[in-house]
Amino acid sequence: MRIVACTEGSFGKIEPFSLEMITAARMAGAAGDEVVAFFAGQDPEPAVTSLGAADRLVAASAGNTQLIAAESYARLLADTVAAEEPGLVLVPYSANGLDVAGDLAARTGWPLVSYVNEISRDGDWLAVVAQVYGGKILAECSVPLPAILMVNPGAFAEAERRAVDPSKLQHSDATPVVAEGKVRLVGVEVPNYDGVDLTTAERIVCVGRGIGDEASIDIARGLADILGAEIAGSRPVVDSGWLPKVRQVGKSGQKVKPKLYLALGVSGAPEHLEGMSKSDLIIAVNTDPKAPIFNVAHFGATCDLFDLVANLSERLQTGR
Amino acid sequence: MKILVVLRMIPDSAGELELTGDGRGIDREWLDFQLNDFDDHALEEAILLKEAAGATVVAVAIGEGSNRVLQMAVARGADEAIALEAEADGMIDSRAIAGSIVALARSKAADLVLCGVQSTEDLFGQLVPYAGARLGWPHVSGSSRLSIEASALRVTQERGGGIAATYEIALPAVIGVQTASKAPRYVSGSKLREASKTAMGKAASEPAGFERSAEIVALRLPGQRGTGENLGDNPENVADRLASILAAKGFAGV
Ligand SMILES: Cc1cc2nc3c(=O)[nH]c(=O)nc-3n(C[C@H](O)[C@H](O)[C@H](O)COP(=O)(O)OP(=O)(O)OC[C@H]3O[C@@H](n4cnc5c(N)ncnc54)[C@H](O)[C@@H]3O)c2cc1C
Repeated sequence: MRIVACTEGSFGKIEPFSLEMITAARMAGAAGDEVVAFFAGQDPEPAVTSLGAADRLVAASAGNTQLIAAESYARLLADTVAAEEPGLVLVPYSANGLDVAGDLAARTGWPLVSYVNEISRDGDWLAVVAQVYGGKILAECSVPLPAILMVNPGAFAEAERRAVDPSKLQHSDATPVVAEGKVRLVGVEVPNYDGVDLTTAERIVCVGRGIGDEASIDIARGLADILGAEIAGSRPVVDSGWLPKVRQVGKSGQKVKPKLYLALGVSGAPEHLEGMSKSDLIIAVNTDPKAPIFNVAHFGATCDLFDLVANLSERLQTGR
Repeated sequence: MKILVVLRMIPDSAGELELTGDGRGIDREWLDFQLNDFDDHALEEAILLKEAAGATVVAVAIGEGSNRVLQMAVARGADEAIALEAEADGMIDSRAIAGSIVALARSKAADLVLCGVQSTEDLFGQLVPYAGARLGWPHVSGSSRLSIEASALRVTQERGGGIAATYEIALPAVIGVQTASKAPRYVSGSKLREASKTAMGKAASEPAGFERSAEIVALRLPGQRGTGENLGDNPENVADRLASILAAKGFAGV
């Protein structure tokens, strides 16, 4: 069987989950299977220099666009799938993957499972484990091949980063496909960090929706100050305008790896965990003992966050 | 312009979720159902577009409590409300309902379909790409801003790392909303009461149109609590323990 592993990269870098897709493809494959990495983007170079763990690389690039729209990515992938006739296509769960996976499933009629964490092969079928209900429940699914899986970033280890052998590279010009697209890129905004860079912070106090309202952010900020930590937030906190976007941790925010990550009132949805689960020391406070944040926390407490913050701030200040 | 907005009622993930006897579903008997958060943002974005550029908004709700949420949608500014028939007791599978949404988009002559970028029940794929591909319309998932400029739609999409891309798309299109341009508004009780007088339409479900799909073999709870230590629920004890853990690891002093 042939397996197509979709990869992504922009601004001269490959997304680390691209290497994870190659590992996932090997797990799903049997001896003799071929893993073909698929890349579409502005610049094929980072894919060519890092995706050598795949058996081949099919890369399409359009030099005149900073980011390739999912529409064009999906169209180029569909052409590759038609040419390669794979038994399985792995798509990363990313902003791009959200449009690409379902699009391919609708066009091919193939089964699709999203939010996949584990894959094993059972003849012409796959057994996969996927997350539902924000990671609170795992679904064991059986999937007839050919099929498409949308795989969670962080679920598989990164394959070794090495260059693709030139004889294993098939490169094409994506400019015509991008030009025909109905989704036209008109601008790219890069966040204004303004001196805030969570990715290099050593200590982070992150507040989730459990903080309740904007005024209460100051309570958490007080504890962050005592700890010498940066304050950060989950998506709903940032969406509500309580903290600026540069302070968002997770899939569409920053991926952080501090020495200390204290999560207050954060449920631990997969999209949040993706941005912080590799932190050295994770402490979580959440009144719901079943909150998925506890699956990655080194220490967890199920008390009210306000009671904890008040008590802990006092202990740390008085040194008692 | 006509906007079709899809509102899915899903179990409250913050509540206790229990499995059914056969282990293939969740016990829905005592569950609280609420509007999928992202769909709430999609509704808000639809109303904001109506206010800014003029539009007719058709709200389609599916699942337990649809009528209540349709009333809320009308109170917020939707012009028409339709309850879509759903399989009782099941997950709202986006792959399965895509056929119905496509049929409604066509019969209502919609120019724009808006719904949340995802739901916690769309295990078998997301509604936006399914509906977009089936309609043959362009689709973009994960929007954080929408506007109409010279009859084209401008969509800002959240990519990773805080990067945002803005696209221009000729309508018709399907958009998966992540965040509305403004936080969803509250509605007063009097507006809700007034909305309750609006007649609610009904739509029958259409076949999904897929021959082969994946299947759930079993649901289970994730392994309990990883390897972490549970410090309990007494805030004073927890604070004592954390203060000494932080001190031991060198975090207590700034
Ligand atoms: C494409 C995409 C990208 C996304 N990107 C991101 C991202 O970058 N970052 C991100 O965070 N999310 C992201 N999300 C959203 C994610 O799915 C979740 O919706 C979000 O992480 C939930 O945030 P939360 O934990 O703060 O809120 P909730 O899930 O509502 O959790 C709040 C928690 O607070 C607890 N709580 C309430 N009151 C108290 C109290 N007094 N004391 C203690 N605990 C309390 C509750 O038990 C609950 O567990 C993304 C989603 C999608 C689809």
